[in-house]
Amino acid sequence: MNLAHIHLLLNHWPIIGAFVGLFLFLVAFFANSDDLKQTSLAFFTLIALLAIPTYMSGDIANEVLKASTPLPQELINTHRGAALLSLIFMEITGAVALIGLWQFSRMSRPAPGLVARWNSAVVLLFSIVTVGLMTATGNTGGAIRHPEIFSGQDAAWTVPAIGSNIAPLAAYFVTGFSRWVWPALETLHFFGLILIVAAIGGLNLRLLGFVKDFPVAPLHRLLPWGIAGLGINIITGILFFVGMPFFYAWNPLFHLKMASVFVAGATLVLFNCTSAFRSWAKLGPGEDPPAFAKFIAASSLFLWLVIIVLGRYLPLTQESLK
Amino acid sequence: MFLSIFKAIEETGLSIWIRESDSVFSFWFILSVHAIGMGLLVGASVLIGLRILGLAPDLPLAPLERFYRFIWVGFWIQVVSGILLLIGYPTKSLTNPLFYVKLTLIGLAMASMQMLRNRVFADSSLSEAAMVAKGRVFAVSSLIFWVGAITAGRLLAYTYSVLTA
Repeated sequence: MNLAHIHLLLNHWPIIGAFVGLFLFLVAFFANSDDLKQTSLAFFTLIALLAIPTYMSGDIANEVLKASTPLPQELINTHRGAALLSLIFMEITGAVALIGLWQFSRMSRPAPGLVARWNSAVVLLFSIVTVGLMTATGNTGGAIRHPEIFSGQDAAWTVPAIGSNIAPLAAYFVTGFSRWVWPALETLHFFGLILIVAAIGGLNLRLLGFVKDFPVAPLHRLLPWGIAGLGINIITGILFFVGMPFFYAWNPLFHLKMASVFVAGATLVLFNCTSAFRSWAKLGPGEDPPAFAKFIAASSLFLWLVIIVLGRYLPLTQESLK
Repeated sequence: MFLSIFKAIEETGLSIWIRESDSVFSFWFILSVHAIGMGLLVGASVLIGLRILGLAPDLPLAPLERFYRFIWVGFWIQVVSGILLLIGYPTKSLTNPLFYVKLTLIGLAMASMQMLRNRVFADSSLSEAAMVAKGRVFAVSSLIFWVGAITAGRLLAYTYSVLTA
């Protein structure tokens, strides 16, 4: 077993996941079921989180395979392009779905505002586009390793053609366009960190029993700021990776960081943004949540701390890998 | 003259250890602590600032003063880890004008937060509406100064001109 295995392990999930998510979402719509809708929105967000390491592991699979087998490089470029496009649309779908999902976790649900009313339509639109892009990604990816299904011009679609220009263009923007793009992205990555610590950290500290004189619900209402911070950091993080994939791809601390981001993100989605949170949101000043809530809060705080520390150690381990 | 002092600092055992030791607790560890301290210090400031600016209006204002504990804990973490980083690279930092910009912005941000505390949180005669009205200017200025301080800090790695160690 080697690191190329990771791509194989992950790469079917986002494709099938996008289809399953869309299916659940449509059924929820026709059955008019809030529970099913919540499930499908949470599912989209989890698949969006999983799509990040899936994309990133592709560069390793390419390197490992290249060493042993002659690969059709053009096909790989189109696959990478389609994958990047899929990733972008999957992240947008996940972000919009999370905004919709968060509404379910609020104690009082006010009359739906503009965002809530349009949320479902936007999720539907982006998930349909994502499903299409994922199909192209699966198709071009399959063609790399399964020549038996590849007949002539199959890969010369428009989607991969557009996509294959996007990866090098993004890489050029991040590393070649100006020497200030990278530092600017790093600064934004720090702003995202601050929002995560303030909103997600603040809420979890309260659940753990610090600053207990606050009711939980109003702190929970600040959570979208933390989600915005996470969004900023996912966007800037993907740009770092696209800009210099091999600064990260082989680094074990980076793998650990990405795994931690997935678990911390999933914790946020499942325990803080679904109706599971409603009973905790009822807690008034001075009231303690159940032990399980404290365990989740402590785990979340620990994971974000680990993510910050691992991020800061990346350049060091990178040097020692050389 | 200054350069020779910086040079002397760079030749001390502590400075060399911070820069060159293979221990996991040297440079990158201190940098990690510096990032966590930033999270506490600025994160708590942002939380107070956002509430004053009208987000989460049902969050009670007065107990928000408790978050000043996190601000000060974060601040002293930053002072200690910052001095250690400075001992590691005195010339690189102290010859960079941006470093002084960063320190000034941190000073202004901390002053804004303290004025918010002394003039708004300390005055128990104020209603919540009055606290928000009076606090807005300090909340806005501290947020702007923090954005500036973080940007300046991040850019230090890209703007130094003299590196002797």
